[in-house]
Amino acid sequence: MNRNRLLELFCANLSNAIVHQILETAIDVPEISEKYVKEVKSSWEIAKNYREKINPVNRSLPFHDLEEIKAKVINSVTTELKLRIDRGYTNINLSLVPEFVEKALKELSVI
Amino acid sequence: MNGNMELIGRISKGSKMDQVYIPKNRSGMNTGEYVIILPLGKRTEEKSIFKPYFYNIKAIEPIKMQIIEEVFSMVEREASAENIIITGSFLEQGFKFNDLDILIINEEKVNTEALKQKIEKTLGIKAHLIFLDAKTLLSGLSTDPLYSLMLSKCVSKKRITLKANRKINYKLLDIHLLKSKNLIDNFDLLSGNEKYYLILNVLAILLFIQDKNLNKELINREIEKIFSVNVNKIKENMLKKERFVKKYKEIYNKTFQLIMESIKNEQK
Repeated sequence: MNRNRLLELFCANLSNAIVHQILETAIDVPEISEKYVKEVKSSWEIAKNYREKINPVNRSLPFHDLEEIKAKVINSVTTELKLRIDRGYTNINLSLVPEFVEKALKELSVI
Repeated sequence: MNGNMELIGRISKGSKMDQVYIPKNRSGMNTGEYVIILPLGKRTEEKSIFKPYFYNIKAIEPIKMQIIEEVFSMVEREASAENIIITGSFLEQGFKFNDLDILIINEEKVNTEALKQKIEKTLGIKAHLIFLDAKTLLSGLSTDPLYSLMLSKCVSKKRITLKANRKINYKLLDIHLLKSKNLIDNFDLLSGNEKYYLILNVLAILLFIQDKNLNKELINREIEKIFSVNVNKIKENMLKKERFVKKYKEIYNKTFQLIMESIKNEQK
Protein backbone atom coordinates (compact mmCIF):
# COMPACT_ATOMS: atom_id res chain seq x y z
CA MET A 1 0.00 0.00 0.00
CA ASN A 2 1.44 3.39 -0.89
CA ARG A 3 2.06 6.10 1.70
CA ASN A 4 -0.81 8.35 0.60
CA ARG A 5 -3.32 5.52 0.90
CA LEU A 6 -1.92 4.65 4.35
CA LEU A 7 -2.31 8.28 5.44
CA GLU A 8 -5.86 8.34 4.10
CA LEU A 9 -6.85 5.18 6.00
CA PHE A 10 -5.07 6.42 9.11
CA CYS A 11 -7.09 9.64 9.03
CA ALA A 12 -10.40 7.85 8.37
CA ASN A 13 -9.99 5.51 11.33
CA LEU A 14 -8.66 8.16 13.66
CA SER A 15 -11.61 10.41 12.75
CA ASN A 16 -14.03 7.59 13.49
CA ALA A 17 -12.41 6.98 16.88
CA ILE A 18 -12.59 10.67 17.79
CA VAL A 19 -16.22 11.02 16.64
CA HIS A 20 -16.93 8.08 18.92
CA GLN A 21 -15.11 9.69 21.86
CA ILE A 22 -17.01 12.95 21.46
CA LEU A 23 -20.37 11.19 21.11
CA GLU A 24 -19.60 9.38 24.35
CA THR A 25 -19.26 12.70 26.11
CA ALA A 26 -22.70 13.64 24.73
CA ILE A 27 -24.45 10.69 26.36
CA ASP A 28 -26.28 12.03 29.37
CA VAL A 29 -26.35 8.75 31.31
CA PRO A 30 -22.86 8.11 32.75
CA GLU A 31 -23.38 4.33 33.16
CA ILE A 32 -24.16 4.03 29.46
CA SER A 33 -21.22 6.22 28.52
CA GLU A 34 -18.82 4.09 30.60
CA LYS A 35 -20.14 0.94 28.98
CA TYR A 36 -19.36 2.17 25.48
CA VAL A 37 -15.88 3.52 26.12
CA LYS A 38 -14.45 0.20 24.95
CA GLU A 39 -16.17 0.52 21.58
CA VAL A 40 -13.82 3.25 20.50
CA LYS A 41 -10.98 0.74 20.67
CA SER A 42 -11.49 -0.91 17.30
CA SER A 43 -11.04 2.21 15.13
CA TRP A 44 -8.25 3.36 17.41
CA GLU A 45 -6.38 0.06 17.07
CA ILE A 46 -6.75 0.10 13.27
CA ALA A 47 -5.51 3.71 13.15
CA LYS A 48 -2.57 2.69 15.34
CA ASN A 49 -1.73 -0.19 13.00
CA TYR A 50 -1.71 2.18 10.01
CA ARG A 51 0.45 4.66 11.90
CA GLU A 52 2.98 1.89 12.52
CA LYS A 53 3.30 1.48 8.75
CA ILE A 54 3.88 5.17 8.01
CA ASN A 55 7.47 6.36 8.06
CA PRO A 56 9.05 7.75 10.16
CA VAL A 57 7.55 5.25 12.62
CA ASN A 58 9.23 6.25 15.88
CA ARG A 59 9.21 10.01 15.64
CA SER A 60 6.92 12.82 14.55
CA LEU A 61 5.86 13.06 10.94
CA PRO A 62 7.18 15.93 8.78
CA PHE A 63 5.46 19.26 9.33
CA HIS A 64 3.56 19.26 6.01
CA ASP A 65 2.14 15.76 6.75
CA LEU A 66 1.25 16.77 10.25
CA GLU A 67 -0.62 19.90 9.15
CA GLU A 68 -2.47 17.97 6.48
CA ILE A 69 -3.47 15.12 8.83
CA LYS A 70 -4.60 17.52 11.54
CA ALA A 71 -6.72 19.58 9.14
CA LYS A 72 -8.20 16.47 7.52
CA VAL A 73 -9.15 14.80 10.84
CA ILE A 74 -10.58 18.00 12.37
CA ASN A 75 -12.60 18.60 9.21
CA SER A 76 -13.89 15.06 8.98
CA VAL A 77 -14.84 14.83 12.69
CA THR A 78 -16.56 18.23 12.59
CA THR A 79 -18.56 17.28 9.48
CA GLU A 80 -19.72 13.99 11.05
CA LEU A 81 -20.76 15.75 14.23
CA LYS A 82 -22.50 18.63 12.45
CA LEU A 83 -24.54 16.06 10.55
CA ARG A 84 -25.99 15.07 13.90
CA ILE A 85 -26.32 18.53 15.43
CA ASP A 86 -28.32 19.68 12.38
CA ARG A 87 -30.82 16.92 13.04
CA GLY A 88 -31.32 17.87 16.68
CA TYR A 89 -28.73 15.72 18.43
CA THR A 90 -28.12 17.42 21.77
CA ASN A 91 -25.07 17.91 23.97
CA ILE A 92 -22.37 17.60 21.29
CA ASN A 93 -19.52 19.92 22.12
CA LEU A 94 -17.74 20.89 18.88
CA SER A 95 -15.10 22.86 20.74
CA LEU A 96 -13.70 19.53 21.99
CA VAL A 97 -12.65 18.53 18.47
CA PRO A 98 -9.23 20.28 18.17
CA GLU A 99 -8.31 19.25 21.70
CA PHE A 100 -9.21 15.57 21.12
CA VAL A 101 -7.42 15.52 17.75
CA GLU A 102 -4.27 17.07 19.22
CA LYS A 103 -4.25 14.56 22.07
CA ALA A 104 -4.77 11.60 19.72
CA LEU A 105 -2.00 12.72 17.36
CA LYS A 106 0.40 13.02 20.29
CA GLU A 107 -0.50 9.55 21.53
CA LEU A 108 0.10 8.11 18.08
CA SER A 109 3.49 9.86 17.70
CA VAL A 110 2.31 11.93 14.79
CA ILE A 111 3.23 15.15 16.60
CA MET B 1 -15.63 -33.90 32.45
CA ASN B 2 -14.45 -37.07 34.20
CA GLY B 3 -15.47 -35.66 37.55
CA ASN B 4 -19.09 -35.95 36.42
CA MET B 5 -18.91 -39.63 35.51
CA GLU B 6 -21.20 -41.95 37.43
CA LEU B 7 -21.41 -45.72 37.14
CA ILE B 8 -24.07 -48.02 38.44
CA GLY B 9 -22.83 -51.36 39.72
CA ARG B 10 -24.22 -54.22 41.75
CA ILE B 11 -22.60 -55.44 44.93
CA SER B 12 -21.61 -59.06 44.50
CA LYS B 13 -20.75 -61.47 47.23
CA GLY B 14 -17.12 -62.37 47.72
CA SER B 15 -15.50 -64.95 49.96
CA LYS B 16 -13.80 -62.54 52.37
CA MET B 17 -15.09 -59.18 51.10
CA ASP B 18 -17.96 -58.15 48.84
CA GLN B 19 -17.15 -56.18 45.68
CA VAL B 20 -18.54 -53.93 42.95
CA TYR B 21 -17.32 -54.67 39.41
CA ILE B 22 -16.95 -51.72 37.03
CA PRO B 23 -16.07 -51.87 33.30
CA LYS B 24 -12.37 -51.66 32.41
CA ASN B 25 -13.27 -49.39 29.50
CA ARG B 26 -14.10 -46.15 31.22
CA SER B 27 -12.98 -42.55 31.27
CA GLY B 28 -11.70 -41.55 34.69
CA MET B 29 -12.00 -43.45 38.00
CA ASN B 30 -8.55 -44.90 37.55
CA THR B 31 -7.17 -47.80 39.55
CA GLY B 32 -5.96 -46.56 42.92
CA GLU B 33 -8.34 -43.57 43.02
CA TYR B 34 -10.74 -43.28 45.94
CA VAL B 35 -14.46 -43.23 45.13
CA ILE B 36 -17.69 -42.90 47.07
CA ILE B 37 -20.22 -45.72 46.99
CA LEU B 38 -23.78 -44.76 47.76
CA PRO B 39 -27.04 -46.70 47.63
CA LEU B 40 -28.65 -45.90 44.27
CA GLY B 41 -32.03 -44.87 45.73
CA LYS B 42 -30.49 -42.38 48.12
CA ARG B 43 -28.19 -40.91 45.42
CA THR B 44 -31.02 -40.22 42.97
CA GLU B 45 -33.11 -38.66 45.70
CA GLU B 46 -30.29 -36.34 46.71
CA LYS B 47 -29.12 -35.32 43.25
CA SER B 48 -30.93 -32.22 42.06
CA ILE B 49 -32.24 -32.53 38.55
CA PHE B 50 -30.51 -30.24 36.06
CA LYS B 51 -33.32 -28.50 34.19
CA PRO B 52 -32.25 -25.28 32.51
CA TYR B 53 -34.51 -23.06 30.41
CA PHE B 54 -34.01 -23.00 26.65
CA TYR B 55 -34.87 -20.07 24.45
CA ASN B 56 -35.09 -20.61 20.66
CA ILE B 57 -32.89 -23.70 20.80
CA LYS B 58 -34.19 -26.59 18.76
CA ALA B 59 -31.44 -29.05 19.61
CA ILE B 60 -28.19 -29.10 21.52
CA GLU B 61 -25.40 -31.66 21.61
CA PRO B 62 -25.30 -33.74 24.85
CA ILE B 63 -21.65 -32.83 25.47
CA LYS B 64 -22.60 -29.13 25.41
CA MET B 65 -25.29 -29.84 28.00
CA GLN B 66 -22.62 -31.36 30.23
CA ILE B 67 -20.47 -28.26 29.75
CA ILE B 68 -23.40 -25.98 30.59
CA GLU B 69 -24.16 -27.98 33.74
CA GLU B 70 -20.51 -27.77 34.75
CA VAL B 71 -20.43 -24.00 34.12
CA PHE B 72 -23.60 -23.43 36.15
CA SER B 73 -22.26 -25.41 39.09
CA MET B 74 -18.83 -23.72 38.88
CA VAL B 75 -20.39 -20.23 38.83
CA GLU B 76 -22.60 -21.12 41.77
CA ARG B 77 -19.69 -22.51 43.74
CA GLU B 78 -17.43 -19.52 43.11
CA ALA B 79 -19.88 -16.63 43.15
CA SER B 80 -23.41 -15.86 44.10
CA ALA B 81 -25.63 -15.43 41.06
CA GLU B 82 -29.31 -14.68 40.73
CA ASN B 83 -29.24 -16.19 37.28
CA ILE B 84 -26.72 -17.58 34.82
CA ILE B 85 -27.22 -17.31 31.07
CA ILE B 86 -25.24 -19.02 28.33
CA THR B 87 -25.43 -17.43 24.92
CA GLY B 88 -23.48 -16.86 21.70
CA SER B 89 -21.80 -19.13 19.17
CA PHE B 90 -21.52 -21.99 21.66
CA LEU B 91 -25.23 -22.63 21.17
CA GLU B 92 -24.98 -22.86 17.39
CA GLN B 93 -25.07 -26.37 15.99
CA GLY B 94 -21.66 -28.04 15.77
CA PHE B 95 -18.37 -27.21 17.37
CA LYS B 96 -17.22 -24.12 15.51
CA PHE B 97 -17.82 -21.82 18.47
CA ASN B 98 -15.22 -19.18 19.35
CA ASP B 99 -15.80 -19.00 23.06
CA LEU B 100 -18.34 -19.52 25.77
CA ASP B 101 -20.41 -16.40 26.52
CA ILE B 102 -21.61 -16.45 30.11
CA LEU B 103 -23.84 -13.76 31.59
CA ILE B 104 -23.93 -13.63 35.36
CA ILE B 105 -26.90 -11.76 36.74
CA ASN B 106 -26.46 -10.51 40.27
CA GLU B 107 -26.95 -7.38 42.33
CA GLU B 108 -23.51 -7.53 43.92
CA LYS B 109 -20.44 -7.42 41.74
CA VAL B 110 -18.76 -10.74 41.02
CA ASN B 111 -15.02 -11.23 40.52
CA THR B 112 -15.35 -12.37 36.92
CA GLU B 113 -11.61 -12.59 36.20
CA ALA B 114 -10.90 -15.37 38.74
CA LEU B 115 -14.00 -17.23 37.63
CA LYS B 116 -13.08 -16.87 33.97
CA GLN B 117 -9.65 -18.36 34.62
CA LYS B 118 -11.14 -21.24 36.57
CA ILE B 119 -13.65 -22.04 33.83
CA GLU B 120 -10.98 -21.84 31.12
CA LYS B 121 -8.62 -24.08 33.12
CA THR B 122 -11.28 -26.66 33.90
CA LEU B 123 -13.03 -26.82 30.54
CA GLY B 124 -10.25 -25.78 28.19
CA ILE B 125 -12.67 -23.39 26.48
CA LYS B 126 -12.14 -19.65 26.19
CA ALA B 127 -14.76 -17.98 28.36
CA HIS B 128 -16.25 -14.52 28.00
CA LEU B 129 -17.95 -13.48 31.21
CA ILE B 130 -20.30 -10.54 31.46
CA PHE B 131 -21.54 -9.40 34.80
CA LEU B 132 -24.85 -7.50 34.96
CA ASP B 133 -27.51 -6.66 37.47
CA ALA B 134 -31.13 -7.47 36.63
CA LYS B 135 -32.03 -3.81 36.15
CA THR B 136 -29.25 -3.26 33.57
CA LEU B 137 -30.29 -6.41 31.75
CA LEU B 138 -33.88 -5.25 31.53
CA SER B 139 -32.94 -1.75 30.41
CA GLY B 140 -30.48 -3.25 27.89
CA LEU B 141 -33.24 -5.40 26.44
CA SER B 142 -35.46 -2.40 25.89
CA THR B 143 -32.85 -0.03 24.46
CA ASP B 144 -30.01 -2.07 23.01
CA PRO B 145 -30.45 -4.28 19.92
CA LEU B 146 -27.34 -6.25 20.82
CA TYR B 147 -28.91 -7.36 24.10
CA SER B 148 -32.04 -8.54 22.30
CA LEU B 149 -29.92 -10.32 19.75
CA MET B 150 -27.68 -11.88 22.38
CA LEU B 151 -30.62 -13.23 24.36
CA SER B 152 -32.69 -14.29 21.37
CA LYS B 153 -31.00 -17.69 21.69
CA CYS B 154 -29.86 -18.72 25.14
CA VAL B 155 -29.90 -21.24 27.96
CA SER B 156 -30.55 -19.94 31.44
CA LYS B 157 -30.56 -21.41 34.90
CA LYS B 158 -33.78 -19.67 35.85
CA ARG B 159 -36.62 -18.42 33.72
CA ILE B 160 -36.04 -15.03 32.11
CA THR B 161 -38.49 -12.52 30.67
CA LEU B 162 -37.36 -11.53 27.22
CA LYS B 163 -40.30 -9.26 26.45
CA ALA B 164 -39.36 -5.66 27.02
CA ASN B 165 -40.92 -2.53 25.59
CA ARG B 166 -38.51 -1.09 23.09
CA LYS B 167 -37.30 2.43 23.70
CA ILE B 168 -35.32 4.24 21.05
CA ASN B 169 -32.29 5.93 22.58
CA TYR B 170 -30.85 7.65 19.52
CA LYS B 171 -27.50 8.37 21.12
CA LEU B 172 -26.98 4.74 21.99
CA LEU B 173 -28.03 3.46 18.58
CA ASP B 174 -25.90 6.04 16.81
CA ILE B 175 -22.81 5.05 18.74
CA HIS B 176 -23.54 1.39 17.96
CA LEU B 177 -23.97 2.12 14.28
CA LEU B 178 -20.75 4.08 14.08
CA LYS B 179 -18.87 0.87 14.80
CA SER B 180 -20.06 -0.51 11.47
CA LYS B 181 -18.61 2.43 9.56
CA ASN B 182 -15.34 0.54 9.82
CA LEU B 183 -16.53 -1.75 7.07
CA ILE B 184 -16.69 1.10 4.59
CA ASP B 185 -13.29 2.50 5.57
CA ASN B 186 -11.44 -0.79 5.95
CA PHE B 187 -13.09 -3.27 3.60
CA ASP B 188 -9.77 -4.74 2.41
CA LEU B 189 -8.39 -5.06 5.87
CA LEU B 190 -11.18 -6.91 7.63
CA SER B 191 -11.61 -10.66 7.85
CA GLY B 192 -14.82 -12.34 6.70
CA ASN B 193 -16.04 -12.84 10.27
CA GLU B 194 -15.35 -9.21 11.16
CA LYS B 195 -17.29 -8.09 8.08
CA TYR B 196 -20.17 -10.38 8.98
CA TYR B 197 -20.29 -8.97 12.53
CA LEU B 198 -20.38 -5.35 11.27
CA ILE B 199 -23.18 -6.16 8.80
CA LEU B 200 -25.10 -8.01 11.52
CA ASN B 201 -24.72 -4.95 13.75
CA VAL B 202 -26.29 -2.61 11.15
CA LEU B 203 -29.15 -4.98 10.44
CA ALA B 204 -29.82 -5.54 14.15
CA ILE B 205 -30.11 -1.78 14.64
CA LEU B 206 -32.32 -1.38 11.57
CA LEU B 207 -34.73 -4.14 12.63
CA PHE B 208 -34.74 -2.81 16.19
CA ILE B 209 -35.83 0.64 15.03
CA GLN B 210 -38.43 -0.89 12.75
CA ASP B 211 -39.75 -2.78 15.80
CA LYS B 212 -39.20 -6.13 14.14
CA ASN B 213 -38.23 -9.38 15.80
CA LEU B 214 -34.55 -9.90 16.42
CA ASN B 215 -32.73 -13.17 16.17
CA LYS B 216 -29.70 -14.34 14.28
CA GLU B 217 -31.58 -16.52 11.79
CA LEU B 218 -33.93 -13.67 10.89
CA ILE B 219 -31.06 -11.24 10.46
CA ASN B 220 -29.13 -13.74 8.35
CA ARG B 221 -32.14 -14.13 6.07
CA GLU B 222 -32.43 -10.35 5.83
CA ILE B 223 -28.70 -10.01 5.00
CA GLU B 224 -29.04 -12.64 2.27
CA LYS B 225 -32.11 -10.88 0.87
CA ILE B 226 -30.56 -7.40 0.85
CA PHE B 227 -27.09 -8.27 -0.40
CA SER B 228 -28.04 -11.32 -2.50
CA VAL B 229 -25.22 -13.26 -0.95
CA ASN B 230 -25.02 -16.27 1.34
CA VAL B 231 -23.81 -15.37 4.85
CA ASN B 232 -21.20 -18.12 4.62
CA LYS B 233 -19.67 -16.32 1.65
CA ILE B 234 -19.38 -13.21 3.83
CA LYS B 235 -17.74 -15.19 6.62
CA GLU B 236 -15.36 -16.74 4.09
CA ASN B 237 -14.46 -13.21 2.93
CA MET B 238 -15.67 -13.81 -0.62
CA LEU B 239 -17.59 -10.55 -1.12
CA LYS B 240 -17.37 -8.59 -4.33
CA LYS B 241 -16.23 -5.22 -3.00
CA GLU B 242 -17.76 -2.61 -5.32
CA ARG B 243 -21.25 -4.07 -5.51
CA PHE B 244 -21.33 -4.87 -1.83
CA VAL B 245 -20.00 -1.55 -0.51
CA LYS B 246 -22.51 0.37 -2.64
CA LYS B 247 -25.44 -1.56 -1.14
CA TYR B 248 -23.93 -1.47 2.33
CA LYS B 249 -23.60 2.32 2.24
CA GLU B 250 -27.29 2.53 1.29
CA ILE B 251 -28.35 0.40 4.26
CA TYR B 252 -25.94 2.18 6.60
CA ASN B 253 -27.25 5.60 5.56
CA LYS B 254 -30.88 4.46 5.75
CA THR B 255 -30.29 3.23 9.31
CA PHE B 256 -28.51 6.46 10.22
CA GLN B 257 -31.43 8.52 8.84
CA LEU B 258 -33.94 6.48 10.87
CA ILE B 259 -31.90 7.00 14.03
CA MET B 260 -31.76 10.73 13.39
CA GLU B 261 -35.50 10.86 12.67
CA SER B 262 -36.14 9.32 16.07
CA ILE B 263 -34.64 12.47 17.65
CA LYS B 264 -37.77 14.38 16.61
CA ASN B 265 -40.02 11.78 18.24
CA GLU B 266 -38.01 11.98 21.43
CA GLN B 267 -38.30 15.75 21.53
CA LYS B 268 -42.11 15.72 21.07
